[in-house]
Amino acid sequence: MRNKLLFKIGWLVLTLIPAILFAQNRTLTGTVTTGKDIPVPGATVLVKNGSQAAATDGNGAFTINVPSNAVLTISAIGYKTQTIDVGSQTSLNVNLAGDVSRLDEVVVTGLSTSVKRQNLANAVAVIGPNQLSGTAPAQTFDAALEGKIPGAYINANSGAPGGGISVKLRGVTSVYGNTQPLYVVDGVFVDNTATSGGLNAVTSAGTSGATSNQDNPSGRIADLRIEDINDIEILKGASAAAIYGSKAAGGVIIITTKRGKQGKTAVTLSQDLGFLRPIKLLGVRQFTAETAATLPGDPATLTKMFNDANAKGEIYDYEKEIYDNTPFTSNTVLSVNGANEKTGFYFSVGHKDEDGLVDRTGYNNTNVRLNVDHKISDHIKLGVSTNYIHSSSDRGIFGNDNAGVTTGIALSSTPGFAQLHPDANGNYPANPFAASNPLQTIALMENNEDVNRLITGANLEVSLQKSAHSLTRFIGRGGFDFYNLETKLLFPSVLQFEAINKGASAQGFTKNMSTNFILSLVNTYTPTANLSLNTSAGITQETGDYNNLLNVATQIISGQSNIDQAGSINATQLRTKYLNSGIFVQEEATIANALTLTGGLRFDRSSNNGNTAKYYVYPKGAVSLNLTSLGLIKEGFFENVKLRTAYGEANNTPAYGSKFTSLGVSNISGFPGLLVNTDAGQPDIKPERQKEFETGIDFSLLKGRLGFELTYYNKNISDFLLLTTPPASTGFARHWVNAGDLRNHGVELGLNARPVEARNVTWNSSVNFWLNRSKVTKLTVQPVQLGSTGGVLLGTYQIEQGKSATQIVGLNGQGVGILGDAEPTFQMSTYNEVTFFKNLSLRFLIHWKKGGQNVNVTSLQNVFGGTSADYDEKTPSGMPKGVTQLMQIGTNAQQTVETSTYLRFREIGLYYSFTKLPVSFVKSISLGASLNNYFTITKYKSYDPEVSNFGTGFSSGVDIDPYPSSKRAAFHLMFNF
Amino acid sequence: MQNHIKTYGILFISASLFFTACKKDYGNLNNATIEDLSKNASKSDLNNLVSGTESGTRNSLNFYLDDVGVIGREIYRFSGSEPRYVLDLLGANSSTLSGNNFYITTPWAAKYRVVKNCNILIQSANNSSLITADEKKAYTGFAKTIEAYQLLLNLNLTYQNGIRVDVANPEQLGPLLNYTESLAAIASLLDEGKTDLTGSTVSFSLAGFPGLSDAAGLIQFNRALAARVNVYQKNWQGALSNLSASFFGLDRNLNLGAYHVFGTGSGDQLNSVFIPQNQNGEQRVAHPSFATDIEAGDDRLSKATLRTTPASLSGLSSDRDVWVYTSSTAPVGIIRNEELILIYAEANIQQGNLTEGLKAINKIRTSHGLGVYSGALTQADLITEMLKQRRYSLFAEGHRWVDLRRYNLLNTLPIDRTGDDVWVQFPLPVTEQ
Repeated sequence: MRNKLLFKIGWLVLTLIPAILFAQNRTLTGTVTTGKDIPVPGATVLVKNGSQAAATDGNGAFTINVPSNAVLTISAIGYKTQTIDVGSQTSLNVNLAGDVSRLDEVVVTGLSTSVKRQNLANAVAVIGPNQLSGTAPAQTFDAALEGKIPGAYINANSGAPGGGISVKLRGVTSVYGNTQPLYVVDGVFVDNTATSGGLNAVTSAGTSGATSNQDNPSGRIADLRIEDINDIEILKGASAAAIYGSKAAGGVIIITTKRGKQGKTAVTLSQDLGFLRPIKLLGVRQFTAETAATLPGDPATLTKMFNDANAKGEIYDYEKEIYDNTPFTSNTVLSVNGANEKTGFYFSVGHKDEDGLVDRTGYNNTNVRLNVDHKISDHIKLGVSTNYIHSSSDRGIFGNDNAGVTTGIALSSTPGFAQLHPDANGNYPANPFAASNPLQTIALMENNEDVNRLITGANLEVSLQKSAHSLTRFIGRGGFDFYNLETKLLFPSVLQFEAINKGASAQGFTKNMSTNFILSLVNTYTPTANLSLNTSAGITQETGDYNNLLNVATQIISGQSNIDQAGSINATQLRTKYLNSGIFVQEEATIANALTLTGGLRFDRSSNNGNTAKYYVYPKGAVSLNLTSLGLIKEGFFENVKLRTAYGEANNTPAYGSKFTSLGVSNISGFPGLLVNTDAGQPDIKPERQKEFETGIDFSLLKGRLGFELTYYNKNISDFLLLTTPPASTGFARHWVNAGDLRNHGVELGLNARPVEARNVTWNSSVNFWLNRSKVTKLTVQPVQLGSTGGVLLGTYQIEQGKSATQIVGLNGQGVGILGDAEPTFQMSTYNEVTFFKNLSLRFLIHWKKGGQNVNVTSLQNVFGGTSADYDEKTPSGMPKGVTQLMQIGTNAQQTVETSTYLRFREIGLYYSFTKLPVSFVKSISLGASLNNYFTITKYKSYDPEVSNFGTGFSSGVDIDPYPSSKRAAFHLMFNF
Repeated sequence: MQNHIKTYGILFISASLFFTACKKDYGNLNNATIEDLSKNASKSDLNNLVSGTESGTRNSLNFYLDDVGVIGREIYRFSGSEPRYVLDLLGANSSTLSGNNFYITTPWAAKYRVVKNCNILIQSANNSSLITADEKKAYTGFAKTIEAYQLLLNLNLTYQNGIRVDVANPEQLGPLLNYTESLAAIASLLDEGKTDLTGSTVSFSLAGFPGLSDAAGLIQFNRALAARVNVYQKNWQGALSNLSASFFGLDRNLNLGAYHVFGTGSGDQLNSVFIPQNQNGEQRVAHPSFATDIEAGDDRLSKATLRTTPASLSGLSSDRDVWVYTSSTAPVGIIRNEELILIYAEANIQQGNLTEGLKAINKIRTSHGLGVYSGALTQADLITEMLKQRRYSLFAEGHRWVDLRRYNLLNTLPIDRTGDDVWVQFPLPVTEQ
């Protein structure tokens, strides 16, 4: 209902927007080409210091109104920008030189400054709209990043609808601190907390309490809409991101949404329709009367059960029945954008509705955005971005479990001859092979996350002083991110496993308010044409206020879900609050457009530190030297040869509350009690500090058609935060300490090319290769194991001096040894866009992750439950494979630590645009078909090599009966008015 | 350039003013902290610590009872999601007990968490100026008694591997004591508790101590525990004299005693050892020998009710559910008169007072629908009979494994699968090694 209303409002706003009038002087027509008269479609033609703009059509042609003696800037992605004095010409032909390295692209380098890529000292990845949403759109924003960022290890937690993805830039930067990057949308620091709905109260996956890190909630970054995004810049480490201070240790992802473009108001309506399919099913064991009798239970009863079921033809493949579905997806987006000299706007409204593979799961998202830019005077510019989001996901019950209730765990011990289907009255039989009947659980349970969110940002730019050589501006930027998240879990009392609790209902209410602002002064001083000094200084502040109230009710009155309709209720509340403040100064000098020197300092303090008054200082410095511009290398075979080096420091503030040893509340027969918590605080806890050094060389060949970017980085993290395990006799299970040092180093190689450029075919390609290695260089405490469900029995991460931070240790037959490492040997990806006859475009993204191990408990769980598809396969010893696998438990964990190499066709899209249409009010119609994650080549034995039972923290890659991942196919239809 | 310098100067001055005003420390918004309590705790703070301590003794109770019950071949713990109950605990194939695994780390840590709370209670009471000296003694006496009880349970698991008794300062833990030293330390902690409780004024309430929650009652509870420690120490005379200071009585109700109690209120706990009858998946069933070894007419057979379909896992099978805890709010005994009567029997038999011992044994037998003991009246036979009565009277309450170990009889326990082992003790958790 709400979604329909939003649509109506959207249309209303659309019709109310007055037609925007454009100043008219005289008309100029022209074409933009490259090479031998090959047209460049989509190039931007701008009047310099004016407001008029136009874009070229499929033939490279444009029409623009220009004042007399106008100067035009013509730019297109992948080409060098040109500036042309029009004079009195009425038609213009422009030939652009190639630039696959995008040297003209402007990249953010400070909180309020930017620099052309040509002079950039860091390898900053940029993802454009075609790559993000124009190939084969993913369900959520976070999934749309996969395979697209060189230097990143991106991993989906599970296939559950609504997202949940871990992004690690240049290795693990923290163990117990935040490993995830900071997301900044139009200057607003966006919250990415994952809030558990209390699933642990039912699954007991963690030892106690209503929530655990195994509840697989989605991260809140998933709420963003990819269609609204113009581009994403990724600052991968402290050397680029130091100026973001205490939030930058995991890197920074800067998202810029679309703004109003000058020219005729453009209206776009797009509709995607598609479906999902499971990527892989594991198969089930085919029983015989003999093998059935070996299952847990009385052999005679089991044989009879099998024979009865067999005689009636009632042997089922429950895995297929539950997962092998073809749910439907739909996505509708309407956007309008336009601008005149003073005001520009971008408005969009979108609605997405997707069912999940499993019945009664799914995701929907409704999103309204309005971005407005206005020039108050020649000196004052104001921009406002607002975004309202409503998203709702039904995620089912999956993952680890110690109560036999999640779908995967229940299936793992349920043979096909078990009778789970309901009778005519809808009563489900109890599953004799597990604590729950998964068909019943799916049909009756609920696990919903519902978010209402408002993100608003403003950007104010005032010219304070302007002279021939100097320009001083005040830039104020800030905003807030507010959301209400309701989580709802319902397990009615009729469920098989609710015999003790008589039903459980958990409702969580979370309110989060994050704010941030930056006030800065920026001065650009250009005493001569060969020297430019850019000075900026300012103050920043970030606050966060998170309040989560979770009520878990049991003994539910039949048919009721309100938490007061229950015999027993447990309430918990978690609040976190912080205030970080910083001061920064930065100086950038560009000499002869060839040498760029950058230096900056940031002073930071945080209410989360042990010493809240202390400012921590974070310096950064960078040098880039363009040998070609300097004249040291003549333009010839090599073009634009640039050497670059950057260094920076950043920190990661301790988790809220890590300085306290607190007492938890308990109740016994109505007497309130205080019982010491098992986490011991550290009153003088310090932030983790990251020092990153990066160096590289960039160059292009073949007249800008081939560009190379080679980068090496070395990142040292000192005083990394660790929850150590002190002797349990202290009364504490974990103790916060600044425990040691960690190192990540690696290389990133990028290649951009335009292998084919002909009249009817253009092929743009980029290939990236990257790898990372980590090492714990110092550890002041005993090795710490984390991220495991079975310890060394199944394989566990272990932080240990001298070893890779992500090593996996376990039993190896002789004792405990290293069995693997989550770090991939390397990763590679390639994105390609081939355009035929101007209007037909093929885009595809292939991603190869080589090496790296997961802890695959899913497969073993099926063996343990006696249902693995290859259980009865004969091994050389004559014993069934399942039995030999079982016999290894307790002495050898090699079977669970499994290599998760994959080659995945992440995205394939084919689009055709009709530009010559019989009706004039439609500019173009574009049709497309796309496949997302459709083809995967892997030997990995579980559902998906991309998996993380423990969510987005340090220990990803633990595979315990997740929601199976899906592949997507969709048809796209887009009208441009 | 002059202009710029001026602008930046102004900016910096305003920035520093702004930031001096902005220094924030929000404190802990979610919980009380140790630092808050140790300064000058009020009576209500201390009472909260008492209730938190009593509540905490229930945490992870199921792990302790499952450990002792499974290794003592009283019960099987079948779990679809946790193989280690039937592998490690029973020594299946070549599995052994590991100091890394939940069956030792979880209960061990839960007990020491309560010990920590007791130490915070002692420290807070000592630092408080808001209570009288007599009230202070009640808090410290209660804390020492519970601390001793928790240490004893951990010692039951790790036996000769010992425990740490001095753990007041987490930065400087005391040494690991061996079994004998540990028992002695526990006994003296109980004595200290008794001294403190004597003449004290109890100004706190307890949930699971019906009739034992005043100073006199807590002393009786304290002495009951001391009697249990005495029999572990083979200090038979000590056991008898402590029994007389406890709530022991041959003619008193067998269930008189102190309990872990459960409730459905907010933040309260449900009984973690309760599983409904005839469940699948998660099962706690009686070892088959429980029913085969029982004398005809013994009403304690009702502690293991027949299942509609037998439960099996990994080559183990049982047709009886454990039915000692019959609802999710059924209490779990800490120590009760039935055990005290059996301690009375044991101490007397050991001291050669066979008639007095027999009297206690017959008290138990007749209370459970059996006739009086008709076997030989030798010390050895009576000990066998006493152990049998302990087995059935204290079924699934965490005793049999400990009892057979005391008498060196672990080798008499049934081996269900070839290659299974009967463990003597748990290894220390890895963090203690």
